Amino acid sequence: MSAALSARPSVLRLVFRDVAAAAAASFLLLVVLAALFAPWLAPVDPYETDLMSVMTPPGGDYILGTDGQGRDMLSRLLFGLRMTLLMGVAALVVGGVIGVSIGLIAAHWRRLDGVLMRLMDVMLSFPAILFGLALAAIFGPGLVAVVIALSVATVPLMARIARSTALVVMAQDYIEAARATGMGSFRLIRRHLAPNCVAPLLVFATLRLGQVILLGSALSFLGLGAQAPTAELGAMAAQGRTFLFFAPHIAVIPSLAIFGIVLACNVLGDALRDALDPKLRP
Amino acid sequence: MSLLQVENLRTVFDTRQGAVVAVDGVDLSLAAGRTLAVVGESGCGKSALALSLMRLLAHPGRVAGGRVLLEDEDLLALSPAKMRARRGSRVAMVFQEPMTSLNPVHTVGAQIMEAMRAHDRSLSKSDLRDAAISALARVRIPSPERRFDDHPHRLSGGMRQRVMIAMALACQPRLLIADEPTTALDVTVQAQILDLLRDIQAETGMGLLLITHDLGVVAETADEVAVMYAGRVVERASATDLFADPQHPYTIGLLGSIPRMDLETPRLPTIEGSVPPPFAWPPGCRFAPRCAFADAACEVAPPPLAMLAPGHEVACIYAPVDA
Repeated sequence: MSAALSARPSVLRLVFRDVAAAAAASFLLLVVLAALFAPWLAPVDPYETDLMSVMTPPGGDYILGTDGQGRDMLSRLLFGLRMTLLMGVAALVVGGVIGVSIGLIAAHWRRLDGVLMRLMDVMLSFPAILFGLALAAIFGPGLVAVVIALSVATVPLMARIARSTALVVMAQDYIEAARATGMGSFRLIRRHLAPNCVAPLLVFATLRLGQVILLGSALSFLGLGAQAPTAELGAMAAQGRTFLFFAPHIAVIPSLAIFGIVLACNVLGDALRDALDPKLRP
Repeated sequence: MSLLQVENLRTVFDTRQGAVVAVDGVDLSLAAGRTLAVVGESGCGKSALALSLMRLLAHPGRVAGGRVLLEDEDLLALSPAKMRARRGSRVAMVFQEPMTSLNPVHTVGAQIMEAMRAHDRSLSKSDLRDAAISALARVRIPSPERRFDDHPHRLSGGMRQRVMIAMALACQPRLLIADEPTTALDVTVQAQILDLLRDIQAETGMGLLLITHDLGVVAETADEVAVMYAGRVVERASATDLFADPQHPYTIGLLGSIPRMDLETPRLPTIEGSVPPPFAWPPGCRFAPRCAFADAACEVAPPPLAMLAPGHEVACIYAPVDA
């Protein structure tokens, strides 16, 4: 009996059945590990300049070459990954927690639904780049301003998805049954509502991570985010722009890293959606 | 003294076309240790009645008036927080659909523990576990220790309904409202669940309010019966009296339309037509358009419940009918 019932393969197995998704997941894991262990993996200090060997091409003593100030590109890439991922994950977590809370509250207390969702519509009408510009103008450019801007841009999207999923869950019989046992509203949200909303939120969060990293890198590229000499992928690409014709690797390497991360997030998000949506299951 | 006393309960649903009345001045009473069956066909307001008693009506439904006295405390007058504290501990409910009434992401044990925790935060995790396992044992689930860690999808419908009953009874409520608890189950399991409810009632002395459309279930379990038609109670009697001497034409029709194996009837009698929807209720007796005995006098005003004999009330101006 148990064999028949557990015949449904686990979500992880369904995701890994897809070769592209497995590759994307492995790549992301590699990137995260590289970022986590950057201080141990980097061959030299990413901020140490070697003015005798500026703009050396990849290969040779410096595996990925050096940048315009003779800093090791490999070390800067590792530390840049760290900064970029940290920025993306921070924005996703802050925006996600706030957004999901708002969405669940709107679905549970329908009285607040109209006000909260119109508020989300207002937030949604601000382009993230413009909002980042405004924040940078007020607080000065920096990663904190970027994280705030990206969080604010993520909140309404998360809130909408959480709300629409939660509305379906709220109509389920087990919610009524739980209320009939005298369960309080907050516990009901935490124990019954939230766990049943996880699947679509997980899919969206994965896709959104790619978008947030792209947006964050764009803000840094525009000079609103990480400031020199901080190693951050968007800022590194911006610095390399000057030397694009003599030493293309300085701009290309961080850009490729951003491209790879965003692509992997999208592929993995799509695969997760296929695995978690029972209607798409073969 | 009665455990539950419902007086003149009115429930309405606010729609764009105005308030639609679903329950229109219902009176009920139920003593501890007894079973009251509320019988009626689909759309007569019996589920709205059950949810009104629990104060779980979802928007746009609302209770518009009346009193619900549970051990002399008016549930309708309580603050939402106090009402929440009564749910599960004083009055609990079992729903119609065991297949969807359990949360698929938690184990059944966790859900029973959750119901217990809602009213007593002092219990330790191991106490809760023991209590939940004995709750499963009480509803006669075989090997409760193993079932404790199962997710709902591993259980059959009957088993799930047992879990629902265990959950409802987790905090020893004085009143259990069972809204069509056996409708979704097959007939043998139905009998087992009814037996179980009866045994638990004998053990704990709780009152059971059984909502059903199945007269077989009524005959098997009920002490008292209230027959509902279009939002009103049309006849109240003990189960024995009701089956022996039905007085309201609707009740007579209902009883007449039960298939019987001992009689040779060429065609099963039916009640012509269907229950009118709340916005199309006739001004007089709501059963008049379908009633064989109705005349102009029936169309003036809905007749009130009138006592025929002690414990037997009928809402029909022509009752008692001569047998």
